[in-house]
Amino acid sequence: MGRFALRRALQGLVVILGVTIVVFVVTRLVGDPVSVLLPLDASDEARRAAEARLGFDRPIAVQFAEYMRSAVQFDFGESLWQRRDAMAIVIEKLPATFLLVFTSMGLAVALAIPIGVLAALKPGRLLDRFVVTSSLLGLSMPQFWLGLVFILVFAVNLGWLPTSGSGSLRHLVLPALTLALPAAARLGMLVRSSMIDELNQPYVQTAKAKNLPFLRIVGTHAFRNASVPALTLAGWELIRALAGYTVVVETVFAWPGLGFTAIQAIERQDLILVQAIVFLVALIIVVINVMIDIAHKAVDPRVKLA
Amino acid sequence: MRRQISAGRGGIRFWVVLAAILAMIAAACSSGDGGDDGAAPDVDTEDEQPADDEDDGAGPAETGGDITIAIGSEPTTLDPQARDDGGERAVNDNIYETLLNRTHDGELVAGLATGLPEQLDATTWQFTLNSGISFHNGEPLNADAVVFSIERIRDPDLGSEQESFFATVTAAEAVDDLTVNVITGEPDPILPARMAGVKIVPPEHAQSAGFADEPVGTGPYRFVEWVKGQHVVLEANDDYWGGRPAIDQVEYRFIEEPGTRLAGLLAGEFDLITNLQPEDAGAVPQAVNITGTEHPIFILDADEGVTSDVRVRQAMNYAVDKEALANSLFLGFARVDDGQVLSPEFTGYNPNLDPYPYDPDRARELLEEAGAVGASVELVGTSGRWLKDRETVESVAQFLRDAGLDAQPRIFEFTEYLDRLFDREARGDGIYVTSSNDLLDADRQLATYYAPSGIGSSNSIEEMQTVIDEARQETDVAARQALYERATEIAYDEALFIFLMNIEDIYGLSDRLEWQPRVDGKILVSTMRLTG
Repeated sequence: MGRFALRRALQGLVVILGVTIVVFVVTRLVGDPVSVLLPLDASDEARRAAEARLGFDRPIAVQFAEYMRSAVQFDFGESLWQRRDAMAIVIEKLPATFLLVFTSMGLAVALAIPIGVLAALKPGRLLDRFVVTSSLLGLSMPQFWLGLVFILVFAVNLGWLPTSGSGSLRHLVLPALTLALPAAARLGMLVRSSMIDELNQPYVQTAKAKNLPFLRIVGTHAFRNASVPALTLAGWELIRALAGYTVVVETVFAWPGLGFTAIQAIERQDLILVQAIVFLVALIIVVINVMIDIAHKAVDPRVKLA
Repeated sequence: MRRQISAGRGGIRFWVVLAAILAMIAAACSSGDGGDDGAAPDVDTEDEQPADDEDDGAGPAETGGDITIAIGSEPTTLDPQARDDGGERAVNDNIYETLLNRTHDGELVAGLATGLPEQLDATTWQFTLNSGISFHNGEPLNADAVVFSIERIRDPDLGSEQESFFATVTAAEAVDDLTVNVITGEPDPILPARMAGVKIVPPEHAQSAGFADEPVGTGPYRFVEWVKGQHVVLEANDDYWGGRPAIDQVEYRFIEEPGTRLAGLLAGEFDLITNLQPEDAGAVPQAVNITGTEHPIFILDADEGVTSDVRVRQAMNYAVDKEALANSLFLGFARVDDGQVLSPEFTGYNPNLDPYPYDPDRARELLEEAGAVGASVELVGTSGRWLKDRETVESVAQFLRDAGLDAQPRIFEFTEYLDRLFDREARGDGIYVTSSNDLLDADRQLATYYAPSGIGSSNSIEEMQTVIDEARQETDVAARQALYERATEIAYDEALFIFLMNIEDIYGLSDRLEWQPRVDGKILVSTMRLTG
């Protein structure tokens, strides 16, 4: 188990290195950051001066070497947009995103498991049909649209919750729901189908025949086996939320997290901040992936590294 | 007997009861308006001042009340001199002041100075300050503070993004406690307008480390707090030298997504939102609008290609129905430009020019004369950067096609578009840009787009260059006006651009807020009132 974890971690390190290099190349390929920083009618000399000040006039190889050297020390330089340390900005915004993402995923799992399990107990019956239909609905809805609809219904028309921002539990409800619902739908479907498979296994029939308490059959044995694919998907949902969906949801709700900051950094061509964000998010994703793989191994020792 | 957990009949009953309860709750709570929120912000942090907007007499309330304003982006700093940041300006325009102010329509008037400066010689301007003014922290507003502020904004160590607006200023000297001389390198007729742009900062506090997070000015509002990511709060300055403003407290929220800003206004959370889209103007309690400083145009390549023939360029102007564009794309929230890139409120505006009329027949005639019927023309633009940018490019392309040109719209992502904008060779036959103007003066716009040396210009007309260079240094107002009229006339006759229109800034207001927008786009809370 220890060796497994170590090898897995090393693989993760290689991925992070790759990401660090790729993000440098990509951000340098796209346009000239200085032209976005200054007003449209700024003079040529103003541009040269800004380039020199930011070090963009040096040969690309020099810039790359400098970049890699500081990246390993977690120093990405100063954000062009905010003029302060980029990694500090990322770390500052991370808690808000974590709060949102982990709450949503917790919500998604808390919704998906009971719904999936209950639906699987009587496949084909009313509850099951209801679950399947609403899940399909849930995972087809684009989150941007879902968020705005929630705002319209719950904040503007009903006035129960604030339209945007953060600062209290009430502010968390709508963004977390928006992020959670499609994930809950996907997870619920998976839990349902895994449970149906498990409940059809011979050992379950045997256990029923032996008059074992049904709750124990479902909860301890069937569920534990069914949870492996669900665990994988839950981890995947978490990563997708962190790396992608949270950007949309945070922007719609003006939730001051990393996703919102990422969008703004991209709009403003702040390639320093973009590099820092991508690096840290990649790091987090790799760590989560490694942890999931290790958890897998713990639940099912037969798992091997690919 | 087997004990089962199942979603059988018992389970269905559960769902039905739950649905019924939810329906009852929804019916009970739904009242159509914003619920208990009203306009008070949902703030966890500091204590709120009581909303004091009841009047004891007849007529609208004159004092009191708290408002919330939602703008599109959060300030990156509250240092008023360091960055060129719209979010920062929205807040600091209420905390800091400048030597000269502008009226609603952009005319320069007294501010911290008693009036327009006296010009002592070609390069020296003298300002007299009002007496008895102090900063929010007690420091006095005097000549030393003004000199300090001017020198600070030009200090290379600060690296101010606004610096290019003041590049002509070489020195500032305190003549006595209330008199300052501002000296320019060359004669600079726009110096007064520039001085309406330098915010005066307190020398002592400005040198402290926390200056960017704690603004201190002379203005009608003082800074209370900035919770990053959440809001900025300002409160009325009781000792303001111009009289205490009406609104007690203002909270700024930062909502980038226009749909969410609109939702907040409709839900009663905001009193004012900026950058309202034309199609949303009907949905808000109050929409106020004013022609701002934004002028979308197409820069036509007068040096090379199909467009180097003046007849083709003129044809392109006749081919576009600008009224239709203003009415359909902007729902009427735009004013057709008078054959120039300047608004009537700008210094240097030429009152003798009229828009090119919409005359598709004339356009076709000119194209035939020039032998350019069916010629291919590339129109470059971007999407999502300016209001209706992509739609404008596509619509104009269609008008040109109707007139007989093979017009191809090419939309690029913003940074790629910028690369083309700044590269004269790669610019394409026509490139879309929205030109705006912070100083309300012809010089900068004309120097950028009209003069051959400008980075946004596509022509080589020598007379244009001489005229604009001369005007830059001509301090006689009438002579300067004549020079600019010549420049705009040349550009008009030569059809160097497809002239379009002047877009309006639209703001959404709640029912209880009373406010008139300004040409320069400043949002001054001291001019706002709450009614009822």
